[in-house]
Amino acid sequence: MKKVVIVAGMLFLSCSIAHAGIKVLGKGDSMRFDPSDFPPAMKANYDIMKTKCVKCHTLERTVIAITTGIAPISGQPFDRNATKAYGIKMLRKPDSNMNKQEVKATVDLMNWMLDEVNK
Amino acid sequence: MHHRATVLVLLVLAFVLPLVYAETAHAIPAFSRQYKTECSTCHTIYPELNEYGQAFQKNGYVYTIKPKAEAKTTPAKGEAGQVQAASSEKNEGLLLAGIPELLPVSFTATQSIAYNEHGPGGDNWNFDTRSLMLQAGGSFRELAGFYLTYNLFSHAENSTQDESGKIDELFVMWRRLFTSPINLKFGKFEPKLSLWKKNDNILPTPLATSAFTVGDFSLQTPQDALEANAVLADRIFVAAGIVDVKGQNDKNGYGHVSVKFGGADMLGNEPEIDLEKESLWDYLTLSLALYGYVGRNAQPAGSTFRNDFYRVGGDMDLLYKRVRLRFSGVTGRDTNPQYTEPGTVQHPLLLAAEAQYLFGSPINVIGLFRYEHVDSGTGTVNRYIPAVAYIPLQNVKLVLEYIHEDGPEADASSITGFNNTVLLDVSYSF
Repeated sequence: MKKVVIVAGMLFLSCSIAHAGIKVLGKGDSMRFDPSDFPPAMKANYDIMKTKCVKCHTLERTVIAITTGIAPISGQPFDRNATKAYGIKMLRKPDSNMNKQEVKATVDLMNWMLDEVNK
Repeated sequence: MHHRATVLVLLVLAFVLPLVYAETAHAIPAFSRQYKTECSTCHTIYPELNEYGQAFQKNGYVYTIKPKAEAKTTPAKGEAGQVQAASSEKNEGLLLAGIPELLPVSFTATQSIAYNEHGPGGDNWNFDTRSLMLQAGGSFRELAGFYLTYNLFSHAENSTQDESGKIDELFVMWRRLFTSPINLKFGKFEPKLSLWKKNDNILPTPLATSAFTVGDFSLQTPQDALEANAVLADRIFVAAGIVDVKGQNDKNGYGHVSVKFGGADMLGNEPEIDLEKESLWDYLTLSLALYGYVGRNAQPAGSTFRNDFYRVGGDMDLLYKRVRLRFSGVTGRDTNPQYTEPGTVQHPLLLAAEAQYLFGSPINVIGLFRYEHVDSGTGTVNRYIPAVAYIPLQNVKLVLEYIHEDGPEADASSITGFNNTVLLDVSYSF
């Protein structure tokens, strides 16, 4: 019984938050998504996100936006319109070093995660 | 003594207050603190504005004109939900009072090393040009925006003007009068003429078209004014205002109109881009402006020695990926800029062109070249300024510029007709 309680406690501590299908790891600046349950296509998109989207900021703001439905800086709804708008915003930033294919991949991933969160 | 005590109190507040309210250990200027975001959200290289910073400025220092969203889902348990829940809990008393939660104050310090081959008295080196400026800005419950710049200390070698202990700008802007797009701005501020304010620059040397002074007037000089401005159809900005000049009943007047093609609109909304196809306009942004100013100054105030003048000018700002081009031109007429009897009419003509290239991370450097043609109406100077700006952190900037001037007005004491200056400038904000 003690072992069960200890294992359950360790599992609880390792997984910070969870929405239906979306798990988040870490806290603060190290907050990120757990792609272990992502479909293969979304895992590939997440590989792009965790490489390209952390050049200028951490994934914390992305996690907050997806899990709460509110963009943390502007306070505006973070929905499918917002994911594309932010994707375009990052595409047009001169130093983002992202092309349209990479932006599309991250936008598709964010839209899928929003659908998962809202299930 | 009083001035030093004021500076000391403000510096102590600036260091103590962020420690009281900040959620992290990072020290960041006023708007960054308020919106918990980095400088690059609104700036290319501080203080030069990107299009979102320009939209933020036009919007009266409010991030968006749309009302904030309510969370559609219950915040999740765990750190993300706790962070979001904490950030949504505001002090009700301060909210009702319209007082910003964080004291919206920041500082910018600049220090320069200059070498001028024609320095006065053979003193070619100057290490003691420096300044410290206090800035404050924000909004009161998004009904009114406000902005203050105060020169705590300013010392420039070979300058007879001491700007220390003076308000540079102090204004309030009533946002969106009666739900219309019209904003009403009142106080002391740079009249909206050029596309760029004097500090909307990478180089410490402002554009000649804005900085050039004839008589008492330059485009960038803050003035006591009342201005109405508005963003129309998301991509047109219009402004008009009247300026009160001390010692005379006549008011000066000005107007500005600008239009933006491509890129985010003037409210900061992203353009529609097809992610499946490539188009030149995906990355191209073009802004055009026209402006005019009509005025009269008397020296001394109230005397019969008057200068009636006007200025007409235009600006263009072109941005494509890492390249930015700026063009500026202004001309005008002054009937008596020297306040003499009889007066001497002058027709100034100023042109400026600047090209920037962002090398970006990891080297975080911008290369820049500026050309200026200054015809004061009594003589001409051509100025060539190559420069490099390095940004090790978003709030720290180092600029190395070489200023070559030639023409009859370049250096009155030199027979060579040209002047060379090397300037190393360090600026940092906190």
